[in-house]
Amino acid sequence: MSTSPELVLAPGPHLRASETTARIMWWVNAALAPAALWGVFVFGTRSLITLGSAIAAAAAAEWLASRALKRRASLGDGSAVCTGLLLALTLPPVMPWWMPALGAAFAILVAKMMFGGLGFNLFNPALAGRAFMMASFPLAMTGAWTAPRAGLTAHLDAVTTATPLAALKEHGLAEAMKLIAGPNAWSGLVLGFRPGSLGEVSVVLVALGAFVLVARGIIGLTIPLSVFAGAIASTALSGAPLLHLLSGGLWLGAFFMATDYVTSPNTRGGQIVFGLVIGVLTGVIRMFGGYPEGICYAILLANALVPALNLWFRPRRMALVGSPS
Amino acid sequence: MPAIELLTFGRGGVHPDPHKESTASKPIEVMPTPHEVRLPLIQHLGEPATPIVKKNDLVRRGQKIADGGATGVPIHATISGKVRPIDKHPHPTQVLSTAIVIERQAEDPGELEFPEDPEWRSCSAAEAIARIREAGIVGLGGAAFPTWRKLQLPEGATVDTLIINGAECEPYLTSDSRLMLSQPREVVEGALVMARILGVSRVLIGLEADKREAADALREAWAQAAGAGAVVARPAGAGAAATAIVLGVRACEVRYPQGAERQLVAALTGRNVPPRALPIEVGVLVQNVATAVAVHDAVRFRRPLLDRVLTVTGPGIKHPCNLRVPIGTLIGEIVVQCGGISDDTTRVIAGGPMMGRALPRLDVPVIKGMNGLVMLTGRGPQSRGYGPCIACGRCLEACPLGLEPDQVSIRVEAGRPLETQPYGALDCYECGCCSYVCPAERPLVQFMQVAKSALRRSAAVKAVA
Repeated sequence: MSTSPELVLAPGPHLRASETTARIMWWVNAALAPAALWGVFVFGTRSLITLGSAIAAAAAAEWLASRALKRRASLGDGSAVCTGLLLALTLPPVMPWWMPALGAAFAILVAKMMFGGLGFNLFNPALAGRAFMMASFPLAMTGAWTAPRAGLTAHLDAVTTATPLAALKEHGLAEAMKLIAGPNAWSGLVLGFRPGSLGEVSVVLVALGAFVLVARGIIGLTIPLSVFAGAIASTALSGAPLLHLLSGGLWLGAFFMATDYVTSPNTRGGQIVFGLVIGVLTGVIRMFGGYPEGICYAILLANALVPALNLWFRPRRMALVGSPS
Repeated sequence: MPAIELLTFGRGGVHPDPHKESTASKPIEVMPTPHEVRLPLIQHLGEPATPIVKKNDLVRRGQKIADGGATGVPIHATISGKVRPIDKHPHPTQVLSTAIVIERQAEDPGELEFPEDPEWRSCSAAEAIARIREAGIVGLGGAAFPTWRKLQLPEGATVDTLIINGAECEPYLTSDSRLMLSQPREVVEGALVMARILGVSRVLIGLEADKREAADALREAWAQAAGAGAVVARPAGAGAAATAIVLGVRACEVRYPQGAERQLVAALTGRNVPPRALPIEVGVLVQNVATAVAVHDAVRFRRPLLDRVLTVTGPGIKHPCNLRVPIGTLIGEIVVQCGGISDDTTRVIAGGPMMGRALPRLDVPVIKGMNGLVMLTGRGPQSRGYGPCIACGRCLEACPLGLEPDQVSIRVEAGRPLETQPYGALDCYECGCCSYVCPAERPLVQFMQVAKSALRRSAAVKAVA
């Protein structure tokens, strides 16, 4: 008989599924990487500064806050990096390095840690950071969009331009389509050779990342599909629902931000309402609001509804469903 | 796979890796007589048994050594030998508990003889219940509720279906599956005995779909029993005509917790057992397959419950097996019998890994309700603490009852366990699905337990005030 080893007295269950918070967060980060790298490719290495400063500032803010609050170190769970990365992907590719840093610090310190840290924040931290930057640096956030590489071989120049959605708002559909390189405009919109924020331009790569998360069971399709449905319904009148669907951060927002566990409802009914509200608000803001881009505020407004949605849509208790036959 | 739709329960549940491959194909081995057995006076729900032997008495295997009292069951010597001083000893669930220790002697007089009662099939319900009680039988699926009490329906209750639970949904465990393969006739006959006691005309045996061979063996045993004319129900009302008993072997989806009473009743009958109620509320009684075998032995031979089959398995044990051991055998002796445990074994689980308990030490005995020993290696859940709830909703999807473990957990964490009732804390039967899926490794079952005991305590205080 082998000598009795030290036995651990632990409560059951003694098995668990392999998914952990940290694994989920790092998978989300990995799923965002292709879109981020594409942004760097299309907009040039200067956009690495935006990406890097946002991520570094988010991580530093998380580390400092958990030290200051004497909490368990939470940097390793990947959620701070995720916030910084998501924030950077919603920003114009080129801007002074301290702007994304400030936005990321606001996202972590104010929108997340002040609410109690991971799990307790009411608003999506990355989008709260972006809203903070929209209010603080309106010009840098909306005025100077870097023109993309026109194709794989073309030379990259530093001309600034408007995004398709801004052009649509100011000048109409024809002008918007002209922005997106010539005859194959729609494919430019899908593939990602177009002006826009760092991570939104390639719908294909955003969708690829989303597919990975769906396949791993990390996110469900309920929220994204509801967002799309709401957006199509509300922009159908504008004459360019397809342009609306493919541009702006709609895909990034629908798959990576609206699906944030903490700031979305956790039952299906609530998720459908939540997604529809986001979709409709996005369309309304884009068409009637002051900004060409609407998903950020739409998600933040819908975040505020989540506690109520969780109260209204609760799981159905097994024993209360139907009566014995 | 034929495209037949398997029976299953309505919502929730999880699919843990079954881990049954190392013992599923191994026939039941018989443990050689151990050096000693320790028989705690409390191995069941109900009052503890009262010893009727004293120090230095010589007892024979099968002899009654403690009386059951009004609500409990008697205890029998499971090996022959000499009674040691009656004292407190480590107990798998109760830390320390009074136990009768029997030490094996040099010469073994063997088991008492239990001849067959030729009239056993026609024995009355009262007589059958008396034999089951005298045999010390409790629910062998784990709950250890005295079977004679379960078979006596409360005033006004009627039952039309007896379910024999062979689901064995816990990962790793294969003892019920092997028992159905080795003693299918005893399972069927035991079920018929109970059906006759209850006066029900429908018996359903539910197993998970991975036990195809066991299902075939049971169907064959049923055909033989039907041929022997054993399948006539005796309705409770005097003078009512006897009706034939219908037996069905039903395959259910492999999905945890398929073998939980509530879920199995829903899967097999479509009936929904109300919260905190027993299945008899919807006309169903559930008994485990091992209990059915014990009932058969008790009624046919007046043979008491002396052994039980355990699956000894897990990555930490050298020779995983299905082992028939005398009740009261020390876990340490079983470990030796199975080749020892590896040094990296961290947890020894009595029962299955989802609902079983981790044992603090190896010198505790096997008790009647223990259906497996799982030796697990490596770090367990929560060994590095747990994180905040990230509201992912996985526990809401996994809960088979539609409760809200997330809400209960954050209220208990905030020191407000009395606010958890709306989220179903009192209905929870601790299947562990929520903790299993939680990515933050939160011990949701334990939060439920804290909430439950706080709510019960406050209800008790209110009742007194």
